[in-house]
Amino acid sequence: MAKVRIQTVRKSYGAMQVLHGIDIDVADGEFVILVGPSGCGKSTLLRMVAGLEDISAGTVSIGDRVVNHVEPKDRNIAMVFQNYALYPQMTVAQNMGFALELAGVPKAEIKQKVEAAAGILGLEPLLGRKPGQLSGGQRQRVAMGRAIVRNPQVFLFDEPLSNLDAKLRVKMRAEIKALHQRLKTTIIYVTHDQVEAMTMADKIVVMQAGRVEQIGTPLELYDHPKNIFVAGFLGSPAMNFIEGTVSHGPTPQLRVSETLSIPLGEIPTSVRNRDVILGVRPEDVLPGEPGGIPATVLVVEPTGSETHAALQLGRQTITGVWRERVSVKPGYHISLKFRQTNLHFFDPVTKERLQ
Amino acid sequence: MTVLKTEAFDNAAIAAPPRDWVLVGLWIALAMVAVLWVAPFVFIIFTSFKSTAAVMGSSAFAPPTNPQISNYVAAWSRGRFETTFTNSAIITVIKVPLGLFISAMAAYALARIEFSGRKMVLVLILFGTMIPFQVMLAPLFTLVNGFGLIDTYPGVILPYLAFGIPYQVFILQSFFRGVPKELTEAARIDGASHFVIFRRIFLPISLPVLAALCILDFVATWNEFAMALVLLQDQKMWTLPLGLSAFQGQFSRDYGQLNAAIVMTVLPAALVYLIFQRYFVSGLTSGAVKG
Repeated sequence: MAKVRIQTVRKSYGAMQVLHGIDIDVADGEFVILVGPSGCGKSTLLRMVAGLEDISAGTVSIGDRVVNHVEPKDRNIAMVFQNYALYPQMTVAQNMGFALELAGVPKAEIKQKVEAAAGILGLEPLLGRKPGQLSGGQRQRVAMGRAIVRNPQVFLFDEPLSNLDAKLRVKMRAEIKALHQRLKTTIIYVTHDQVEAMTMADKIVVMQAGRVEQIGTPLELYDHPKNIFVAGFLGSPAMNFIEGTVSHGPTPQLRVSETLSIPLGEIPTSVRNRDVILGVRPEDVLPGEPGGIPATVLVVEPTGSETHAALQLGRQTITGVWRERVSVKPGYHISLKFRQTNLHFFDPVTKERLQ
Repeated sequence: MTVLKTEAFDNAAIAAPPRDWVLVGLWIALAMVAVLWVAPFVFIIFTSFKSTAAVMGSSAFAPPTNPQISNYVAAWSRGRFETTFTNSAIITVIKVPLGLFISAMAAYALARIEFSGRKMVLVLILFGTMIPFQVMLAPLFTLVNGFGLIDTYPGVILPYLAFGIPYQVFILQSFFRGVPKELTEAARIDGASHFVIFRRIFLPISLPVLAALCILDFVATWNEFAMALVLLQDQKMWTLPLGLSAFQGQFSRDYGQLNAAIVMTVLPAALVYLIFQRYFVSGLTSGAVKG
C-alpha cells in the first residue's frame, strides 16, 4: 500500500497539450475515481501513473519515490484494462502467475499465490481454462486476479466495467468495492460513468478538458458542486438549470421571464439582486400546492421505484423525480415547489458556484 | 377436425425449401475448378507407375494396369536424389524457420517499438518486395562470387533470406499492429521485456499467420529454380528442381521415371502443407479481449 502524489502534471502530444497541470493526492489505501467525459484526459493521467505514457512536466510519486523515469514493472502497480488484455494462449492460472513467473518466483509459491487470489474471486474452477472459454464477467475477474496476485502497492483500473452488460456491471461494482474493503490497497480508477464514481469512490476527481474541476467525497461533490460542469455531470437525471434574475424585495424571487417568477426562501447575500443560474436537482422538484410554480407535464416515465417527469416550465424543460407514485398525465397543468434547502446558485458568466 | 389438422401437418412436412440456385451454381463451379486442378496430379501419379510401353500405349488418364514401383527406385538413383534431396532439405530447413524468425522479430519491432526512422525502415523493406529477383540475378552472382560463396549453402541461403524476408515482414507487421496494444502494456507491467513479449505473447498469437507463411515459404524455397541455377554450379550442390531439370534431358523418353521423380519432389511440400494447414484455423486470439 502506498500513497500516490500527482503534482502539476502536464502532458503534450507535440504542440497539443492534453493535461494542464494536474494536482491530485491519493492517500494510502484510498479508493479514488477519476471521472469525466470522453477526451478529458483521465485515462492518459492513469497511464502516466502506470508508466505507459511519458510525463511531459510535473512529477508522479508512488510511496515516497518519484517514479517519472521508473519502468512500469518497477513501479509496484497492477493495472486492469477495459478490454481485459488477457494473454489468449495461456490458461487462467498462467495468466495470473505470469508476472511472478517473470520475476523468478518459485513454482510452488506461484501456485499458492494464484490459488489464494483465485479463492478471493471465486475463480478456482476456471484456473485450467483459456480466456476464450470465459464469459465477459469471468474475464474481468481474471484480469483482477492477475492484478491481485502481484500484491501491488496501487491498483489502477481503466474503465474496467465498460464492456459488461448493465446487470453484471452493478454486480462487479459491488465486488470491486468489497475487494477494496478487504485488501485495503490504494486504488485509482478511471470511468466515464458517474454512477460508478458515486457508488464506489472514497474520493472523486472530476475532470474536464485536461483540468481538474473538483476533488472531494461523492456526497461533497453532489451537495456542493463547485461549478456548473460538476453540478451537471454528477447525478442522474442531471441537475436542472434555470436562468433568471434574483429580484430584491421582502420575499426574494427568481424572475425567469415576464410571466414566470420562482419564489426563493432564505438565500445567501451574494446571490441578491443579480443574474444567476439556479440549479435544482430533479429530486428537489416537488409537486406542490396550488399557487406554486406553474408547470405543464410533458412526459411521464415510471421506473417502478420512482417516477421521472419532464415538465415545461416557462420556455424550458426541467426534470422531476418523485419517489411517490403520482397520478399525472402528459398535458396536465400542475403546481411545483423547489426544496429550498438544496438550491444551488451559479454565476452565469464564470459558471462558478455562488456561496 | 382431427383429419384436417393431420392434413395440414402433412402438407407442411412435404413442402421442400426452395432450391438455392446460386448455391448450386457455386458447387458446380467448385467441382469444375477442382477437376481442373486435380487432373494433372492424377496424370503424374498414374504415369509414375507405368512402364514406358504402357505410357505410350494407354490413355494418359488410364490407371496403371501393372504398377511399376521400379520407376521410383530407378529415378531415385539415376536422378541422384540422395544428393539433391539432402541439399534441398538442408537449405529449406535452415532458411524457412530462420527467415520467419528474423521477419517476425523485425515485424514486432516495426509494429510495437517506437524509434525514429521507423516508417523509413518499413518503406525500405516494402521497396524490397517490389524488385523482381530476375533483374537481380547477375549482380547477385557477382556479389555471392565476391564473397566466395558460390556452391555453398550460405551462398544460396543468404540470398533466399534477403528475397523472402520483405514480404513476410510486411504481412507480419500488419498482423502485429492488429494485436491490441493493451496486451503489450499488460505484459510490460507484468515485467516482460520486449523479447519476452515477442516470444511469449506475439509468437503464440500469430501461429496461424506463421503457419501460413511457413507453408508458402517452404513451397517457394523447395521449388526455387532460377537463383539456385545461377548460384549452384557444382552438381554435388544441386537442389531438387535442378536435378529434375537435368532428368528431363537425360531420360526424356522415360516418362514413367520422370513422373516418379516429380512425385518425390512434390511430396515433401504436400506433407508440410498437410501438417500445418490445421493451424490455419484461426480464432486463437478470440478471448484475448472483448469484441
